[in-house]
Amino acid sequence: MNVEVDLVAFISLLSVCICFLLLTTIWIQIGSMDVKQAVGGQPASESKPKPEMWVVMEKEGAISVQLRNSPTKIMKTYGRSKIEGTEGKPNLEEMAKYLVQLKGEFSEISIALIRPAEKTPFEDIIQLMDLFKQEGIEDLGVTPL
Amino acid sequence: MLGTIKTASHALTAGTGFTSSRRFKKNLAATVMLTSLVDAFSILVIYLLVNFSSAGDLLYLSKGMELPPAAKAVELTRNVVVKVEKDKLFLEEKEINGNELVGKLIDLKKNWEKYYPETEFTGAMTIQADRRQTYDLLSQVIQAGGHAGFSDINFAVIRK
Repeated sequence: MNVEVDLVAFISLLSVCICFLLLTTIWIQIGSMDVKQAVGGQPASESKPKPEMWVVMEKEGAISVQLRNSPTKIMKTYGRSKIEGTEGKPNLEEMAKYLVQLKGEFSEISIALIRPAEKTPFEDIIQLMDLFKQEGIEDLGVTPL
Repeated sequence: MLGTIKTASHALTAGTGFTSSRRFKKNLAATVMLTSLVDAFSILVIYLLVNFSSAGDLLYLSKGMELPPAAKAVELTRNVVVKVEKDKLFLEEKEINGNELVGKLIDLKKNWEKYYPETEFTGAMTIQADRRQTYDLLSQVIQAGGHAGFSDINFAVIRK
């Protein structure tokens, strides 16, 4: 059998489909960064407090980090640290190095509570949260002023 | 895909310009192969269908609003949306005063089934703000959410 299929109708259908999809497709991918409100803390029923990191975003992009409920050895090395900002922005490269070193020695830490300053831009907060998540610190909280 | 289908939808016949002269009489027939065109269209349709995402419908981005980018963002879900734009607050696209926010959120929570039928209250709230927005106003929204029982905060971001 030698049958010719008329593709013109099929092409028309595909053209309409393409036009519709091009018009209706949303090209930007919107996602969400999920955090908890860092008020209240750990339930009293849990006997052993979990190690956590308190992060304060200061003026000029400086970031102060304080560890809590962590082993003494870790506290001595990483207990209190301050990473100065660069050009008014947080120095995320230094912060990433700090987090990699900390996670290398103390992988149990997975909670970080972030307290931004009054004039901290939203973008800087999200970038810092993103960095924490990338380094495996998934449970993030943000404290109101 | 459809490679076996051959078609000759356009048969162009030319060469009759010299019909008066029998010496130059030719019969040129050109066929347009539509197979590759159909293949290309099919691939395009499949690509667009795969990329089709409904997440963008959940938020309305105003002109000039830029969301901050993030690599580890998760998929956006439908929650109560509080938008912070040019130091103004919008609850579900309706402009509200900062002092009213707690009351409105409590009202939403109490009458959840009325406002959002067939959805369960999860205590999550989406905050949509421009990347340059300072934290002072965002803090107000977070506090108001906390007072009203919306303790899970989802910041809307652009996925990298």
